[in-house]
Amino acid sequence: MNPPNLSESIPHLLELHRLKNQTVQLGAWPVRVSEHLRFVGILEGKFNWQIEGVPYILYPNDVVVLCPWHRIGNETATLEIGSFIEIALQTNKLEFEGSLQLGAWSALAEIDQRIIGKLLSNGPLVISHFKTLNELLQTIESEAKNGAFGHQTRINQVIDQLFIETVRQLSQQQSQRRDFSQAFGELEKMLRDSLDHPWTVEEMATIVGMSTTAFTEKVKSYSGFSPINYLINIRIAEAMRQIRQTDKSLTDIALDMGFYSSQHFSTTFKKLTGYTPGQYRKAPRPPERE
Amino acid sequence: MDCIITIDIGTAQVKVSAFDTSARLVAARRGAYPTFHPQPDQSEQDPEQIFLTVLYALKSLLNEGLDRKHRPIALIFGASMHSLLPIDKHGVPLRNAVIWADNRGHNEADALRQHLLGQEIYEATGTPLHPMSPLVKLCWFKNHTPASWFERVYKFISIKEYILFQLTGQLVIDHSMASATGLLNIHQFGWEQKALHHAGVRMSQLSEVVPIHFDELKLKKEYVRLFRLPSSTKIIIGASDGCLATLGAGVVKEGDATITIGSSGAVRVAGSEVIKDPHQRFFNYVLTPDIYISGGPTNNGGVVFEWFAQQLGASGLFLDLEQSVEQLLREAERVPAGAGGLLFLPYLLGERAPLWNANVRGAYIGTNITHERKHFVRATIEGVVYEIHSIGKLLQQYRNIENLYLNGNYATRPLVAQIIADVFGKAVHINDQHDSASTGAALLALTHLGIYPTLPEAAQTVRSVETYQPDAVTHERYARFTQIFERLSQKLQEDFDALVALQA
Repeated sequence: MNPPNLSESIPHLLELHRLKNQTVQLGAWPVRVSEHLRFVGILEGKFNWQIEGVPYILYPNDVVVLCPWHRIGNETATLEIGSFIEIALQTNKLEFEGSLQLGAWSALAEIDQRIIGKLLSNGPLVISHFKTLNELLQTIESEAKNGAFGHQTRINQVIDQLFIETVRQLSQQQSQRRDFSQAFGELEKMLRDSLDHPWTVEEMATIVGMSTTAFTEKVKSYSGFSPINYLINIRIAEAMRQIRQTDKSLTDIALDMGFYSSQHFSTTFKKLTGYTPGQYRKAPRPPERE
Repeated sequence: MDCIITIDIGTAQVKVSAFDTSARLVAARRGAYPTFHPQPDQSEQDPEQIFLTVLYALKSLLNEGLDRKHRPIALIFGASMHSLLPIDKHGVPLRNAVIWADNRGHNEADALRQHLLGQEIYEATGTPLHPMSPLVKLCWFKNHTPASWFERVYKFISIKEYILFQLTGQLVIDHSMASATGLLNIHQFGWEQKALHHAGVRMSQLSEVVPIHFDELKLKKEYVRLFRLPSSTKIIIGASDGCLATLGAGVVKEGDATITIGSSGAVRVAGSEVIKDPHQRFFNYVLTPDIYISGGPTNNGGVVFEWFAQQLGASGLFLDLEQSVEQLLREAERVPAGAGGLLFLPYLLGERAPLWNANVRGAYIGTNITHERKHFVRATIEGVVYEIHSIGKLLQQYRNIENLYLNGNYATRPLVAQIIADVFGKAVHINDQHDSASTGAALLALTHLGIYPTLPEAAQTVRSVETYQPDAVTHERYARFTQIFERLSQKLQEDFDALVALQA
């Protein structure tokens, strides 16, 4: 059987190739933009790559996951000896602030795609000793090569599995390598970067790498707030700044802070600050007592 | 039953506590907020988030934490020192607040230290010329922002002033907080013209200075409602957390000292005179015009234990850093004093007192083939204590220290307390009130309300519940280590400079 024409049968699989390099090649591997959502799995050798300006030394079974805007390559453009496999995927949407829609070919639930988008856009992922992912990449390769019955379905399933395994591995690494305060600090940064995102506790817990119950308890003992109250606190603090420092309408501020209605925003704002947003904008600012 | 509400606005969290009129803790709430690092050497906080967190913690204590029979008669405030926040004429922050840990002004600090004017400013203001000082931060802003921006700033205030401004609409600063800005003349208790001139700020760009018992603050009616407070509740301005923690440890007279190891650390003494150190190694802050709190701060306290726990100890999401540190302490207990001759310099974050050198770094020295992880754990703890001791030793050139009182999360652990006693060769005491800053605030309020006649009498009510006695033999052994420690700290500075250049 001839290898199938992938661009027809699996149009969202934009690139799939294995690169085997037996001599050092100067100028062959410059730092460049990934352009697509991309998985790179190292099979043999050792590569010194710059990924988003950070130097990494990659060994077999290390996997790199890149967003379209991430930059990767060798600082002196040298392609070192070894081999790796890469795939690039077309997505309906993958944006800087982390919204991801893979497309109809994926069976992943919407909330799962959202979490994946958040994790991916948070920075390039470099996962070491991740044999499972490399095996999955090779499965995609051989399915594509053989073009046996059902290969389209299989490949789509395996791609979904790539994402699932990546998130699980990340969660596990989180819980092994970081203590809670570090993990919470990273989560907090993600929250701030997209306050309008409809965050759920489940989503936050997954990002930190904990069950929802354990996460909620931990946030409480760490910060004194429940996760949702902590998030609301950040949202209202940012709203206070925007109300006073910008001319943005209160409705726009409410929406940008992730409140689904200005009424809901107003009630929450008043409950926390003692003022409605309108009062706060107009609040008299008494001069210093002389 | 009447009670005092203390609000301690710290670096990582606000603690709101209720004390009864004998200064016993009744209930407490807290809320945490983050520090941002836009650049590795910068540390900033969001004033609005801190304000909201204060509101949340206060509201939850007053509305849920206290039952009906407790009636708040006064609110009093303590806060971290050295923060700087520019606001416009509407009281709106022009940027995030720059906090004590921020190092962006290191060039400005170095320049001023080498200048005769620096010595004069230090003597007048009592705040070491270091990037922590708001004076130095202002110099940085002067050098790095357009003059028009600097001019547009209505006031330069601290986070504490901002919180009070939000709550009351009034802009005032207490003597104690003001004395940590590098801008206040600590002998005359007014803004120091020389410092202001050097920083390029006008007197009108600073708040009015008031005593720590100032109580002419009035809560906005929205907050009286939100907190459900009796309208008679007094709002007392309070002091800085460092001064309050010293008072709350019962230390207001000569002969006593406090050792604090929280995430950073300090050795502090109280006295009616400032310490005049020609090398500018100590701070002199104002509690009241009769009581100065002097001493030396270290960058490398519990943060060093936490670093060790995170990098080399048992770590994981489900372990609190505290639990992880706890495990390390148990491991260290199994190693005899001196860690088998392994010595640790703890300067992971550069150092303030006594070296005042941002470029010193950490080092394990004397490693041999028999050393195990537990020796490193023990050496790490001992290194932090040697550093504290080197501050204490210098202080003793100026003050007689007989009694040591420990506070802060890490100094009060039994193992650490015993090591401190042995290294200093003095008995150390741990008080019944662990949160010294809040206790100090309560004592100050109670004294102002006439329940105690004077602060020293109020301070006497703090009782020590545990005492650790030094072991003479161990002390002698440690004395040999502290000598080597001090020599190495001096000797290696040049090499650290060279290494730091490679760490950039």
